[in-house]
Amino acid sequence: MEIPYIVTPRKDTGLINSKIAIWLFLASEVMLFGGLFSAYVYLRMGADYPWPERSLPVLPGLINTFVLIASSVTVVFAWAALKMREWRKFQIYMGITVACAALFMVLKGIEYNVKFHHQAVRLHDYSVIEGHLGYEKEGKEYVLDRNGKKIEENMIRVKAEKLTFSVKRYHAAWVKEMIAEADHAKAKITLTEDIKAVTKVGGGEETVAKAGDKLSVDLLKKIFKVQEAAQTHNAALRTKALRAAWVVAKKENPGKSDWEYSEKVIIDAEALKPEMLTEVSAVVFEVNPPVELLYKPRDIKEGAASSRLRDDTVIEGALEDSPMVFHNTDAIDFQWLVMKAEEKGIAPETAIENSWLMQNNSFVRETWAWHLTEVAALRKKLTDRHGINSKTGKPNREPTHKELYRIGWKEFGDFGDVKLSGGDKFKEEFFGPNYEARGEKTFPHLSVPREEIRHGAKFTPAWNTYYAIYFTITGLHGLHVIGGALVLLYYLVFGRKMYIENPEWLANRVEVGGLFWHFVDLVWIFAFPILYLM
Amino acid sequence: MADSIEAIQKSKKTYLMVFGALLVGTVLTVLVASPPEFLYWLDVGQHGFDKWDAIVGLLIATTKATLVAVIFMHLNHEKKAIYWIFGAGLLFFAWMGYLLSLAYRSPIHDYLFYK
Repeated sequence: MEIPYIVTPRKDTGLINSKIAIWLFLASEVMLFGGLFSAYVYLRMGADYPWPERSLPVLPGLINTFVLIASSVTVVFAWAALKMREWRKFQIYMGITVACAALFMVLKGIEYNVKFHHQAVRLHDYSVIEGHLGYEKEGKEYVLDRNGKKIEENMIRVKAEKLTFSVKRYHAAWVKEMIAEADHAKAKITLTEDIKAVTKVGGGEETVAKAGDKLSVDLLKKIFKVQEAAQTHNAALRTKALRAAWVVAKKENPGKSDWEYSEKVIIDAEALKPEMLTEVSAVVFEVNPPVELLYKPRDIKEGAASSRLRDDTVIEGALEDSPMVFHNTDAIDFQWLVMKAEEKGIAPETAIENSWLMQNNSFVRETWAWHLTEVAALRKKLTDRHGINSKTGKPNREPTHKELYRIGWKEFGDFGDVKLSGGDKFKEEFFGPNYEARGEKTFPHLSVPREEIRHGAKFTPAWNTYYAIYFTITGLHGLHVIGGALVLLYYLVFGRKMYIENPEWLANRVEVGGLFWHFVDLVWIFAFPILYLM
Repeated sequence: MADSIEAIQKSKKTYLMVFGALLVGTVLTVLVASPPEFLYWLDVGQHGFDKWDAIVGLLIATTKATLVAVIFMHLNHEKKAIYWIFGAGLLFFAWMGYLLSLAYRSPIHDYLFYK
């Protein structure tokens, strides 16, 4: 079947159909990305924390901009080559375009990877530490867990004595992990007491599981089945009773709306009891001898004697020493602490002086003292350059909030004063702090006790709304790059046959694909300054 | 659309010029945002990031985007239908921006409102 209006334009629109279609699609894309950029503005203006201005390394974004612009030119040259029936040139230009797309995605992947391994933590006093977490070591050897994996120094350790599972919510993988951990430590996890339940209406209590039964997912499943059946049965019973109560209430209150007598609709729970089945919602196991369990901070809400997992499992047992250990610290940020202090009318200097970091870490004190001299020098430089306002008597230019209260990795680099080779410098501009080249003297070791931590996360959406919108926009843009590149690659690889049969059709298809590709470039033209430079 | 071989040959030169302009625009955006020491006067407005940096940065970005749309996407010689379609998309975007600005006039963003 021949597709109409793909080579010759329609008379009413004067255009080929595919072009109309791609422009309709692009118009909807404008609204999609427009919505996301608006979300960015909204999040930024409404942020209740210091927005991370210009915090990403600019170089990868800049190179990617060049790459995408170049690909925009080559795709239009590829189209022009087809129009002039130069197949070889088309292949070259389209090949470069697809290669640019691949390079873009590789650079993006590197950028993402750096963020996924960069840790940040906010303390209770709102000071922020950023850096790289280490792995547990004994001497020079890494400590490995049961599965032979390195253990990140950000795990929460609990000496589990008693486990209470939510029968409905338990996460089977975690249960299996607990069993394996207990087996490894030659400990037993057993049920503390018999689980008895009425499982049939009118029947007596039956023993579903016996005290001393070993923990297994099958056992939990078995108890869950009893629970599920009981819950369904009881809910149906209650609903039936409630319906009957409504009928009675309606008869007693003729002419009234239901909301006027809804309070009088009450069911007699006592009367229902004989027909109810037993709901077993939680089961308790003991761990003998107690076993040490490790959890990622996001999976557990820890407490001194009792902690709760994300699946509602309660672990009773002492919380062991579980500090977050930065193998390399690359930023100390008091911006948020100052913001909070100013809200309370406390002077920034006092708040910083009283912060946990300044009180407990000599390196931070030393760096901060150096930082203050740097800020003073900057103040002087700005005043020398821009002068003083004759009316107010204040300098025309002041250091920014960020310059005043944050020691970033570049400042740490200046402070450490290690001479870097050209290659190492480039690496630093691209990937961020170069720990290997600068060493621990520049980016020191720092251990934060768990009780000082308010919130910790990698540089991911979990850290703040900036990263949330960064990953949303760049992620969606990246998907567009992949999609667009696949279409262009298709023309490159499978276009030859069409070129021979109907070159104009192929040229039109490339033009339409190219239009999408330009749009992808267009989005990046805005995403780059907004996410990297502002 | 200029479909003749001569017209395409001619527009190739324009494409290269636009390519150059886009590169320059990109470098300029970076310089305005974080000027090196010897170009400190490029830091418009107050020292560091402020609304003037945002305005200049976005103006350059808009110019670049317009170049891409007009030259690469051939909007400089396109049929009316396309202008209507794309214009409508932009209009909806602008309308959303307006709604956004309305939200900023609501009391939830006025911290004095609850005091």
